[in-house]
Amino acid sequence: MAEGTAALPRPLEAPALARPQRTYWGMVWRKLRKDTITMAAIVLLLFMIGITLAAPLIGDDVLGFSPISTDLYQRYKPPTWANDAWPTFQEFTTTCQMGTGCQWSLWPAIWSSSLAGIRSCLVAAPGTCHWLGTDEAGRDVLTRGIYGGRISLRIGAYVALISMTLGVAAGLLSGYYATTLIDDIVNAIIMTLGSIPLLFLLIILATLFTLSPEGLAFLIGIFSWMGISRLIRGQIFSLRERDFVMAGRAVGCTSWRIMYSHILPNVSSIVIVAGIFNVAGAILVEAGLSFLGVGIGPPLPSWGNMMNGSLGNFADAPWLVVTPGIFIFLTTLSIFLIGDGLRDALDPWVTETKSERW
Amino acid sequence: MTRYIIRRGLQSIVLMWISTLIGFTIYQAAPGGPLQFLSTDPRRSAVDVARLEQLYGLDRPVLVQYVAWVAGEDWFAHVPGLAHWQSGQCANSPDECAHGVLRLDFGRSFLYQGEPVIDLIAQRIPATFLLAFASLLISIAVGIPLGIIAALNRGRWPDHVIRVGTVLMNTVPDWWIGLLLLIVLGSYLNIVPLGGMETIGDGSPLDVLHHLALPAVAASIGGWIGFSRILRFEMLEVLHQDYVRTARAKGLARVAIIWRHVLRNAITPLVTGLSGIFLLVLSGDILFELVFSWPGMGRLAYEAINSRDYPVLMAVFIIGSFLGILGLLLVDILYGLVDPRVTYGQRG
Repeated sequence: MAEGTAALPRPLEAPALARPQRTYWGMVWRKLRKDTITMAAIVLLLFMIGITLAAPLIGDDVLGFSPISTDLYQRYKPPTWANDAWPTFQEFTTTCQMGTGCQWSLWPAIWSSSLAGIRSCLVAAPGTCHWLGTDEAGRDVLTRGIYGGRISLRIGAYVALISMTLGVAAGLLSGYYATTLIDDIVNAIIMTLGSIPLLFLLIILATLFTLSPEGLAFLIGIFSWMGISRLIRGQIFSLRERDFVMAGRAVGCTSWRIMYSHILPNVSSIVIVAGIFNVAGAILVEAGLSFLGVGIGPPLPSWGNMMNGSLGNFADAPWLVVTPGIFIFLTTLSIFLIGDGLRDALDPWVTETKSERW
Repeated sequence: MTRYIIRRGLQSIVLMWISTLIGFTIYQAAPGGPLQFLSTDPRRSAVDVARLEQLYGLDRPVLVQYVAWVAGEDWFAHVPGLAHWQSGQCANSPDECAHGVLRLDFGRSFLYQGEPVIDLIAQRIPATFLLAFASLLISIAVGIPLGIIAALNRGRWPDHVIRVGTVLMNTVPDWWIGLLLLIVLGSYLNIVPLGGMETIGDGSPLDVLHHLALPAVAASIGGWIGFSRILRFEMLEVLHQDYVRTARAKGLARVAIIWRHVLRNAITPLVTGLSGIFLLVLSGDILFELVFSWPGMGRLAYEAINSRDYPVLMAVFIIGSFLGILGLLLVDILYGLVDPRVTYGQRG
């Protein structure tokens, strides 16, 4: 027997067949690199993270403002570069309200004075130009926006971590032990959380307990794992009938080992994508809570609470509404696009969507 | 079917019970307790606090307080051995007894000078329902056509436009879109009113409709995005079924196939979507009502938040949960009625 096998040629050992090793993550990266939109989104997200990480540097050296120092002489200042254009713009909107039709002839003047403003702002010394205006306490909106990203992105990341951990644990257990007591308990919890107004519960809790960003993230996190858990449960329900699980059982693996090293890797792509979407969701929820004035309290800036001060004044100071919204938009857009791209890249069996006419 | 309804009904009752537990726990766990609003008054003394606690029954065991809050305390007097658990004000005059959440007695508001909370809510709830149903109608009217168009043109430009559009809408808070619309349409162009539900002194339906338009459109954004997405997905599933191919093969008109065979089967899952909208409308409403100064329950809750008016907050939470749970029950039963393929009695 031993001599027989030795005599056989070993077909796969030949150096002619050597080729670069293809790992799963290598494949994911190759797919991602070809996907221009996702790469652009990654660059955009990195840029947003970069400016928030460098916020103290940018605030002090480039813009010359602190996010919390107030200046009551500078309240509700329009963006400095548009300062001269602002009264003309307001005149324009007044003509629109009259019902006689807007006076579009004012626009060349608005354009030229804001362009002149931008030119003069570009050469001005740090600390003189409020690029995006000031808020109700005379703080620089752009500086606060950059600092606000620190809170919003941090909360997004924490929430994703918490909800992924809880969701994976609950989903794994309830999927693996489906139709047992564990599954029933998890389902009951999900059903309870699914039938009460969670946003309102969050609002009440955030009102009663003055929260740090971490506390708020924890609170949002423990209410946002249900989707992930359901997704995973459904997947595992079918995975646990597959042959490799059977094989694992046959060689005597413990349930924990099967769950952890055989089933979990098979759902990891779902978990990652759902976690990424949760980051965006958490940023939006935080914005809503802080906008209501119950999330992150001043003087700490967050994208939500920057809009809180604008409520009575949004017509005269629209930059207070627009700026934080654009920060949110850029961040969540990049996160959504990355999530979408990753979903395709992480799935080894993804096929092109064929266009068809119906 | 009957057994299923009974089981779901019992489940809903348990869920309601749990939501009262959650509400009561929060009320009790609030820093400073229910009397926290008094702590800012420098003149209060320990004697006053003790007297008030006795008066409102806060010196009783938590369990007794819970029972009194949920089921009322007026019947304590008729049950031997329970009479001494009545709160001070109830023992003094039977009119002041709590009737319990189950009989829609949520106590009295701190902010509105002791007005019964249920009266405040009764005043506000029609506005909330009006906004909720208007936005639901808009979600259906916009979401279903979009879903159909996207599914029928899968992978071509109408599908892409709708997909990109909905993704873009999803990346910003929908109340923010409402705020922007309010600035442009309300403030700059003066087409819609800046807020409120009616012009003072003019409550005609047309005037209310004028005020309702923008809030309803803004509040429907989440709804029609969801509807169109679900419908697109479901229609794509159905379009590949054999019976659709058969219908095409035998030469049935395209419209007839889509209307009678595809849409009929694809639209039922939207019913489950309705329950989510129900909850969203009732709780997410608070942001829209704030942005548009809409005089509904959400705005009442916002005022209650700012003044720590716990009875009102709890009442809005409990009513919101109960409505959500009942809505879910309704939708589940409805689902079985609309879709004959659904069988009951199975686990899952």
